[in-house]
Amino acid sequence: MSTDTLRPAATGAPDTGRPARGSRVHLSLSTVLARGTVGVLLLLYAAISLYPFLWMVSAAFKDEIEVVSGGHLIPHRPTLRTLTETWNELHFFDYFLNSLKVTGLTVLLVLVIYSAAGYAFSVLHFPGRKALYRLFLALLFVPGVTVLLPVVLLENKLGLLGGHWGLILPFVNGTAPLSILLMTNAFSSIPGELREAARVDGASELRIFTTIYLPLSRPVLITIAVLTAIPTWNEYLLTRVSLNDPEAYTLPIALQNLQSSAVLHYNVLMAGALIVVVPVIILFIAAQRYFVNGLIGAVKS
Amino acid sequence: MAISTIAKGPSPTRRAPSRGRSRYRRSETAWGYAFVLPAIALFAVMGVYTIVYGFSLSFASWNGFTPEWRWVGLKNYADLLWADPQYAPLVHQAALNTMWVMIAVPVLTVLVSFPLAVLLNSVRRLKTVLRSVYFLPHVTSGIAVYFAWVYVLQPDGAINLLLRSLGLGSLQQPQGFLGNPTTALPTLIVITVWTSVPVAMLLYLASLQAVDPSLIEAARVDGASTWQVTRRIVWPLLRPITAIVVLLALRDSLQGFQTFLIMTNGGPGNHTNVLGLQTYRLAFLSQLSPTLGLSSALGWMLFVGALVLAAINVRVLRRVT
Repeated sequence: MSTDTLRPAATGAPDTGRPARGSRVHLSLSTVLARGTVGVLLLLYAAISLYPFLWMVSAAFKDEIEVVSGGHLIPHRPTLRTLTETWNELHFFDYFLNSLKVTGLTVLLVLVIYSAAGYAFSVLHFPGRKALYRLFLALLFVPGVTVLLPVVLLENKLGLLGGHWGLILPFVNGTAPLSILLMTNAFSSIPGELREAARVDGASELRIFTTIYLPLSRPVLITIAVLTAIPTWNEYLLTRVSLNDPEAYTLPIALQNLQSSAVLHYNVLMAGALIVVVPVIILFIAAQRYFVNGLIGAVKS
Repeated sequence: MAISTIAKGPSPTRRAPSRGRSRYRRSETAWGYAFVLPAIALFAVMGVYTIVYGFSLSFASWNGFTPEWRWVGLKNYADLLWADPQYAPLVHQAALNTMWVMIAVPVLTVLVSFPLAVLLNSVRRLKTVLRSVYFLPHVTSGIAVYFAWVYVLQPDGAINLLLRSLGLGSLQQPQGFLGNPTTALPTLIVITVWTSVPVAMLLYLASLQAVDPSLIEAARVDGASTWQVTRRIVWPLLRPITAIVVLLALRDSLQGFQTFLIMTNGGPGNHTNVLGLQTYRLAFLSQLSPTLGLSSALGWMLFVGALVLAAINVRVLRRVT
């Protein structure tokens, strides 16, 4: 269905072919109603989508007394103090850096490891590649909760538990199926003639990969980076069971700590939540074009 | 909702090897292994080892501290399903709650996201902005947003306030929506739907844009109304997407529990305990009781459930496409 449905023709008015000026201005009543209803419904869901965020922002700008009296979305005495205090006194900057470190290293490793693997699976011929490729895709079906406990026990043995590498390695491994799938697809669509030509000129595989294939796949690399960064930034379960030392805390765990503190102040909790959410929203808006198109591309191919 | 299972790309061997290539070139083989080595190495440790380890643990009794495992064979599975008077009832209730989630979430997700995509596809202005706004719940899905929900759902929170101002005061929940045993599970279901609508909506939107406009034009010429076109042409054409949306939602309902852990931790009572959460509790919240094997066994039963769903997925998709 497209915009056609809302044209006068759709509601039974005579279709004059080219839209004469008159037919545009004198929309029939039912058309106006239909458009109005569509608009209202779309805005209503926008409100539902935004609802908890609006209250999150609202509470983050209220002081302790006002958040208890609640009741109103726009703060009567808006204050930045809640946000600055949460940021400063609760050491949110340290947690922010930890989150940035874990997310950044995870994204970097995912891009390096799985672009290489994708290159091998899509253009290099070697025995066993089909079986290996299938093995990675089969991993899609192993539930996170099933391997959560063994991962923790293993890391405990290896002495990785409690540190940031204990998060990064399982996170990277967790994105393997999707990243390999997307990378392999992207590289398969690059014409093989390019590679042949480079080989004739004596370029090594590593050189072909870094100077031809990677630059040509930039949109997919960005899509994978965003698809990895967002869940990693928000990750909570493994982080919760593996981190003990407050120095290593990432933002979600710091937030969890706020909530379980003796006296719960919703303005502080929402200020913390806002600090966690804002970077993701900025990343999403910045990479929106690639992210959404990348998703749609994944569906269509 | 995970988007991981959506893409169905070409197989890596799409390019048929030319005739002279039937034997592998040595240098290419070496490069091939070199390129996949990091992925394989990581997978061998974090993947294969943990899977094998977890699977064997499901046949043992262990509390995580004693040096030795005690092998119990299939006892863990039997205990969870019927034998143990302490754990079997817990698992039964969790299974019942999970079943409600698995019924309600897919149905509601389709009921919300399909009309939403059709409506969004019919407007020209603000389309991109609205698409981003609708997508926000997926992007931010995590502890921060769940706490925001807890905040608006509490007894003197914004939802109760909204109901009062709309004249629906009788629907207010004085104990908060998560404190009342009858409303807690439905509330969590609604929030799960809220987070799963974005991807479903995007999937529908992407395939709506691929629908051949001449089909709809032809129906229009025959005098079909908007409703008839949507119901008789668009909906059947998008059935494969509906199958994907439903099965993704089913899988996430079966295994996902993060919302439940953060927002209610299974309470009040055990009214929002689900199988994923029960697995987590047996693994990490039972102190010195020897429940790690039980947790592992429950995890593997969930895995089998996921496999069955995946098999159905393949069959259904083959039938509807």
